[in-house]
Amino acid sequence: MTPLAIVATLAALVAFATVLGLVWQRQNGRVRVSSGRDTISPLDVAGPLGSSATLLQFSSEVCAPCVSTHRVLTDIAGASTGVAHVEIDVTDRPDLVSRFNILQTPTTLVLDPSGTVRARIGGAARPDTVRAELARIAAA
Amino acid sequence: MSTTEKPTLAAKPGQKGIDPRGPRFGASITAVLLLTTIGLALAGATVASVAAVVLFSVLVALFAWGAFAGIQRHPYGLLFKALVRPRLAAPTELEDPAPPTFAQGVGFVITGVGLVLHLAGVPFALVIAASAAFVAAFLNSVFAYCLGCQIYLLLVRAGILGRKGAAAA
Repeated sequence: MTPLAIVATLAALVAFATVLGLVWQRQNGRVRVSSGRDTISPLDVAGPLGSSATLLQFSSEVCAPCVSTHRVLTDIAGASTGVAHVEIDVTDRPDLVSRFNILQTPTTLVLDPSGTVRARIGGAARPDTVRAELARIAAA
Repeated sequence: MSTTEKPTLAAKPGQKGIDPRGPRFGASITAVLLLTTIGLALAGATVASVAAVVLFSVLVALFAWGAFAGIQRHPYGLLFKALVRPRLAAPTELEDPAPPTFAQGVGFVITGVGLVLHLAGVPFALVIAASAAFVAAFLNSVFAYCLGCQIYLLLVRAGILGRKGAAAA
């Protein structure tokens, strides 16, 4: 290859990686409203669900943003009544990972009092996003 | 946004956290070296090809170092501590070394397989593996992308990882 062609190839590679990064950044922390067909029972998570909502977080040990999401969700659960934060390590529960088609950690499922999945947040959860989803469930 | 008290350097003296900017600094060096490798490999001349293989082998070894000795003992980490960290403010929070160590392991597998295939004579193996590793290192360094967040889950879903305890039965 000529030097010019090499430089062009390398520039294209950098541009490709930049586009990937921007797409990832846009998706990160986004909410998807769920159809309301999936339900989680206290048996699934081996613990009680919140009386007004449950924040079900899927995490793993090799996931740095899981720690910040954990902090965001425990803060919100601690400051609101009836909101429970349940954290699941994907290593322990491959069954739930397949059942809910979890593709990244952290993923947070927002459950209503009956355990029905109302929303799904892929990536690091932001406090305002979580609060908006909780308000939506409370208003339903 | 209400900012509740965040754990700081001083607040967690017992924890062996690392400065999250360290691995990102290392990833930027790795990305530049991988880009250099690709450029040399594409140049086609014998000298450049040999240089590409040598540089790529060094990168494989560095990934192995980070993956097996842990990210805290990686040479880039020492460079970061000596040259960069003193010029920065204290980090707002410390991170678990497990995620970047896992990412080093992923880098080691990708580049290691690429090197073996290249030495076995597979065409473009080096350029393809180096490009894949470059994208990962670039995303890590520029966008703080977490490789372990997705790859680890793929391994769990493939049944390679996972504790089949009572909970999963």
